[in-house]
Amino acid sequence: MAVPKLAQLSKSVVQGPSLATGAIPTKDWMDVPAIFKPGNYAYQAKQEKVEYLNSQKGLHFPNAREWSPEDEDWKLPENWKEIILKGLAERLDKFRSLKIFMDCCVRCGACADKCHFFLGTGDPKNMPVLRAELLRSIYRNDFTLGGKLLGKMAGGREMTVGVLKEWFMYSYQCTECRRCSVFCPYGIDTAEVTMMLRELLHLVGVGINWILEPASNSNRTGNHMGLQPHTFKDNVDFLADDIENLTGVRVNHSFNRKGAEVLFITPSADVFAEPGLYTAMGYLLLFEHIGLDYTWSTYASEGGNFGLFTNNELMKKLNAKMYAEAKRLGVKYIIGGECGHMWRVIHQYMDTMNGPADFLEVPKSSITGTTFKNAASTKMVHISEFTADLIKNGKLKLDKSRNAHVKATFHDSCNPARAMGLIDEPRYILDHVVDDWVEMPENTIREQTFCCGSGTGLNTDEIMELRMRSGLPRANAVKHVIDKHDVNTLSCVCAIDRATLTSLMNYWNPGCNVCGVSELVGNALVMDGENRQELDEGLRTLV
Amino acid sequence: MKLDQALKNQREKIVDQWVNYTLSTYESSSFFKKETDKFANPVGGNTREALSALFDLLAKNADPQEFVVPLEQIMRIRAIQEFAASVAVAPIHAVKHITREILAKDKEMRPLVAELYDFEFAVDLAVLAAFDLYMQCRERLYQVRIQEIKTGNYILTDSKCPSNATTMLKTNIQQSIQTVENH
Repeated sequence: MAVPKLAQLSKSVVQGPSLATGAIPTKDWMDVPAIFKPGNYAYQAKQEKVEYLNSQKGLHFPNAREWSPEDEDWKLPENWKEIILKGLAERLDKFRSLKIFMDCCVRCGACADKCHFFLGTGDPKNMPVLRAELLRSIYRNDFTLGGKLLGKMAGGREMTVGVLKEWFMYSYQCTECRRCSVFCPYGIDTAEVTMMLRELLHLVGVGINWILEPASNSNRTGNHMGLQPHTFKDNVDFLADDIENLTGVRVNHSFNRKGAEVLFITPSADVFAEPGLYTAMGYLLLFEHIGLDYTWSTYASEGGNFGLFTNNELMKKLNAKMYAEAKRLGVKYIIGGECGHMWRVIHQYMDTMNGPADFLEVPKSSITGTTFKNAASTKMVHISEFTADLIKNGKLKLDKSRNAHVKATFHDSCNPARAMGLIDEPRYILDHVVDDWVEMPENTIREQTFCCGSGTGLNTDEIMELRMRSGLPRANAVKHVIDKHDVNTLSCVCAIDRATLTSLMNYWNPGCNVCGVSELVGNALVMDGENRQELDEGLRTLV
Repeated sequence: MKLDQALKNQREKIVDQWVNYTLSTYESSSFFKKETDKFANPVGGNTREALSALFDLLAKNADPQEFVVPLEQIMRIRAIQEFAASVAVAPIHAVKHITREILAKDKEMRPLVAELYDFEFAVDLAVLAAFDLYMQCRERLYQVRIQEIKTGNYILTDSKCPSNATTMLKTNIQQSIQTVENH
């Protein structure tokens, strides 16, 4: 900048490691260390949670201890480097995809500007290509001939504690949303690179509490909240009472009922935390409306799977309860509620990990006769598919005017959109339950949807600023439809979204509600024998 | 030439430099400067939009109340990024120096530099307003954090007995909703 005073303007006030000195980076990225300070990292896992998980059969979570990312000494095992390199070697051998992803990137940069973390921070290490490079540089150095001979010249670098800290910083500044993968000409799934980084870190006892505690709860009681069966039941019963107060209809739900046609599994946040509660009320009303023969399970009481954010062994173990419970109860198939990463696990991994579910039948709706051939293998149908089919076959009595208070837009949750292609069903439902809804700009929806910024276990309040940064691209698109079309409701099909988008809106776009699509269905349903109060705000109305 | 005419003529050049300077405060800023689609590039797009609007207001000596909308657009972003407060606000100041420099470089416009007092005073007011907005955004951030804690997410990790907490929460929820709505 040619103006001398201007050049001093920022520098003269704050010197030091701030990003904001107006200067072009002078150091090579490899020479910029990760610095941990309050607000830029999620809290480390509690010792007792790591100990508990490590004590479980088939799980490996070593090196439980008191430590802090802010400390110089992370109390790593003495042979930590050997453990990491051996772990990487094992994974390169086990997962062919990882080997390919390490080798085939040509650093074209197509992914670089597609990551919401990069777009919100301007930190180059949040460019997916560079985030992957954090691992790839080690791979090159220790696993390729070029790297072994030429080292840094070939893009390799030695594994050091500094590199490990950098891995921790940036593998938890990725929500595994896979938007970057959509743009990669080679189809590199950068989310899987992040998954590998996190797996490797767990080998030396480096993980975050917001993932490991829900995961250990889930292993113990079946759900992230640690709810025991009686509490889970109580909560659903509470919701049924609320429905009765609002609509005069007493829903018929059951728990752990053997011989039911369908087992219903949804994220526990739906029966527990605001605003997911209203979505759960929507499910209860819908199933009552069509007289579905279904049961909840107080054991498979969690659709979400935080194992996905740790390592494949824990993911497999936590997922296993779905089929186990379906088998125990003798149901024909499973319906799953609105959740994001749950569907990635179901759609992409469940069959391989815990299938084949040959004791179940290919899902066929007893109400419409439709066979869900897309779920022929997993035997598990998404609630939006199920609902859209009911609407298409004219099985629902819907009154859109009951959503007159809603002017909606729809956020495609990353995993349903990109990991299972569930894109048109929620839109079809919206067409039939609200008078009017609008799309956000094209490059922020469907396969190109922007993440809420807090997925993969980053939905924790100590990193609120970081979450607001990474959620900026999503919030920015929502603001556009608020300004242009007076939108007041952001609908979605993901439990984590319902929690995180609420905070995101409260910061960026105050006054914009967040809801599940099933809540809007519940609002619009005309129930037999109803004695409905004036519900100006649908199921959220205080009566 | 009159000052207002000069500012109008030089608008594009000044705003370009101003946006460029502001975006240079990001470590990796070439994409932020280059991409014009606001949805593909929220930081760059909003910065350009906000500073363009703000410049027009400054140039026409508008009511400082009107600065709030464009300032909020930019400060809401900078308030949650990894900037010291001074650095978050500093770019608003920059337009003074840029304008002065551009006018001074041109022989015909050079005498107008002496007339910049009102314009620069308007910038001073904008900087002060930006600081208020920065603080409001920080406050909002803390409110959001408190609100999230109230709605029950914390029970995932910070409750000794989730089962008890559930019952408690049930009674607290309506209160929380009310708080959000009032907020």
